[in-house]
Amino acid sequence: MAKVTDIVLWDKPGEKVLLLGNHAIARGALEGNIAVFAAYPGTPSSEITDTMAAVAKKAGVYMEYSTNEKVAFETALAAAWSGLRAMTAMKHVGLNVAMDSFMTASYMGVDGGLVVVVADDPSMWSSQNEQDTRAIAKNAGIPVLEPSSAQEAKDMAKYAFEVSEKYGQMVILRTTTRSSHMRGDVVLGELPEEIRKAKRKFGNFKKNPERYVDIPAFQRKKHPWLLETVEKYRKEFSESSFNWIEGDENARVGIIAPGLAYAYVKEALAWLGVENVKLLKLGTPFPAPYSLIERFFDGLERVLVVEELEPVVEEQVKVWAYDKGLRITIHGKDIVPRVFEMTARRAVEAIAKFLDMETPINFEEIDRKYEKVSKIVPPRPPSLCPACPHRNTFYAIRRAATPRAIFPSDIGCYTLGVLPPLKTVDTTIAMGGSIGMAHGLDVALNGVPGEEKRKTGKEKKIIVATIGDSTFFHTGLPALANAIYNRSNVVIVVLDNLVTAMTGDQPNPGTGDTPHGLGRRILIEDVAKAMGADFVKVVDPYDIKATERAIKEALAVEGVSVVVARQPCALYRIGQMRRKGEKWPIYHVIEDKCTGCKICINAYGCPAIYWDAEAKKAKIDPTMCWGCGGCAQVCPFGAFEPMEEGE
Amino acid sequence: MREYNIVITGVGGQGILTAANLLGWAALRAGYKVRVGEVHGMSQRFGSVIAYVRFGEDVYGAMVPEGKADVILSFEPVEALRYINYLRKGGLVFTNARPIPPVQVSMGLATYPTLEEMRKIIEEDFGGKFMAFDAEELALKAGNIVTTNVVLIGALTQTPGFPLSAEHVREVIKVSVPPKTIEVNMKAFDLGVKAAKEMLGL
Repeated sequence: MAKVTDIVLWDKPGEKVLLLGNHAIARGALEGNIAVFAAYPGTPSSEITDTMAAVAKKAGVYMEYSTNEKVAFETALAAAWSGLRAMTAMKHVGLNVAMDSFMTASYMGVDGGLVVVVADDPSMWSSQNEQDTRAIAKNAGIPVLEPSSAQEAKDMAKYAFEVSEKYGQMVILRTTTRSSHMRGDVVLGELPEEIRKAKRKFGNFKKNPERYVDIPAFQRKKHPWLLETVEKYRKEFSESSFNWIEGDENARVGIIAPGLAYAYVKEALAWLGVENVKLLKLGTPFPAPYSLIERFFDGLERVLVVEELEPVVEEQVKVWAYDKGLRITIHGKDIVPRVFEMTARRAVEAIAKFLDMETPINFEEIDRKYEKVSKIVPPRPPSLCPACPHRNTFYAIRRAATPRAIFPSDIGCYTLGVLPPLKTVDTTIAMGGSIGMAHGLDVALNGVPGEEKRKTGKEKKIIVATIGDSTFFHTGLPALANAIYNRSNVVIVVLDNLVTAMTGDQPNPGTGDTPHGLGRRILIEDVAKAMGADFVKVVDPYDIKATERAIKEALAVEGVSVVVARQPCALYRIGQMRRKGEKWPIYHVIEDKCTGCKICINAYGCPAIYWDAEAKKAKIDPTMCWGCGGCAQVCPFGAFEPMEEGE
Repeated sequence: MREYNIVITGVGGQGILTAANLLGWAALRAGYKVRVGEVHGMSQRFGSVIAYVRFGEDVYGAMVPEGKADVILSFEPVEALRYINYLRKGGLVFTNARPIPPVQVSMGLATYPTLEEMRKIIEEDFGGKFMAFDAEELALKAGNIVTTNVVLIGALTQTPGFPLSAEHVREVIKVSVPPKTIEVNMKAFDLGVKAAKEMLGL
């Protein structure tokens, strides 16, 4: 088991390895001779980006952590307009950020291959919605490739560059949480010489305003081109090796399985012992390959489309069948659930219903038995790590502003501040949304800044927003400018842990370093001052009292206050310390001093602290303490003390 | 062999994904088709975690369906119970016996079931076998608590019907871990094997 960052650069064509879908995509991009990669991390896409960051220098690829998905898309697009092969990767909601450029770039085409990897998150394992990128792609007229295995993820990444160049249009490579985070066997292909020899590739931008400038007069000529291109891809995909018909050729019933649903359908058919069906495996959900579908439909009387989320393939097939005047029953979302992710069980249940069969095991019986279990198993939601600086900041905010204040927050680990006991997150909506919400709430609840009728003193609602450092640079900046410009009256606390923590500690402008080692650091307090914030202060959240004081000071100021709570991500710091062989203090509870008041548990809530019900005392799990000393500051009785060292 | 299904459960940060990856490579090196299913991101922050390892001639999706796991390997007792619906009838649960009480339990908002309560449900309602042992103690005995996952993998190789040989899995771990930690990991593996043999009466 070699390191993944080594494996993706192995010059060993034919070698079989175990790769995560995301690692396989990075390998496929290298096999496809990628020149430029730009992305903002987002689960479940992040490992593509991190793998590219780790290998970029060794492969002669330019790689950057962009500040957001729109900038990343534009960076990749410019490379493609200069004739280079480029890729960007993002989570599904990241595409919403890139959408403005994406929807127009579709009219303009590309010279070098451009691959936009979008990782959807059905069931919302780490996301705020489960939008289906295939439906967006259909609206944009952009072709979609969707793998059913890690092998296909690699092969499609490479093919995407080729087919993107063939018709001069960008291509979406769409994954889901399960295909991005599924490890599977992958046979490596060849690496191009330029990648092997780390040869940097340079582009050539040929001026052509009619093509690269999007004024209406130019764009009107290009929309028909976009629609023609969709039909070219439809034809191309009818011959694609990612699409095929298998099973019983003479069957009367057929199943269409796009993307990863193919894996579940294969498992379901084997489990059900069903052989007399024809199966259409689709790696290209949009545009649906009509000639292949026509061949598939030959002899069929009933068809079921088993797809995750939206009926993207189902609707295309139904439109095609209607236009053809076919009188075939086509089932889809009437049988297959439209919400949450596909599973083998769901595929079994849908196919059993479609074929009027019993399921091979009694799932309802398992569910019934499990009901009893779910009642006695205590919940274990994710929580902020031990020593997480955000916990201290939230604790200080609640003390300074009182729990009655309103707390707009943002997207990151710190969204977990919504859970008890911290409960310092009242709204979240999207990346950078905290500041816009804070300003909007101030206007809605307190009135127009400067106006006489505006609420002041005790009548005024206190609003304290929290936003992470990476999120601040991502989309917080325009919102801060808006709040300052419109004379908002809010406190904005930037939870600056110096990395993009939730997605795996990636660097950002506040960190400074880049994969190529030449980054320039931007200080958040400098930005806030330059924009004209009325109060700016930097504090260390490991000093809870000082943080509380800073927020109180900020609350006393009329206008926009920015408090930067700066302390490295604990998970990141501990990882670094372990690598360097450094030690940290481990706190213990002095039993005689602990009165059992439970403030440390019921108000602070570090996961390293637990309640010993027999002794009626708090205890610390020494394997989980990362030594921030927050507990010692929170405890009114001085019961926490550093006693030993962790390593 | 058509398919063998392992479900690995525990608390984020315990080394569950590493264990899943090690087993995946061991199966790949034994010539099987392999699927490993994981969830990254927010779920890893000290929350409940589940990973799947499947191998055989006939595996496609990465997730083990309910009622199909041959074995549940758990790093924390109540996490085995949380995912007990995945166990097939006659399947085996191997769990580290040391509980990590969730914050809600400490806050008095939930209670933590006893090992005996868990055993009763797993054996009587789900027709499984329940085996709990202090894998962390064995890991400490081997020299480092972070080898708990290797202790558990060692124990797993003794499961009746487990398709990979203990020697093969041991060898894959040996070539996978950092050279400095080979000795402690091999010790941990052997202690896991020994503990499982005693529990299973082998």
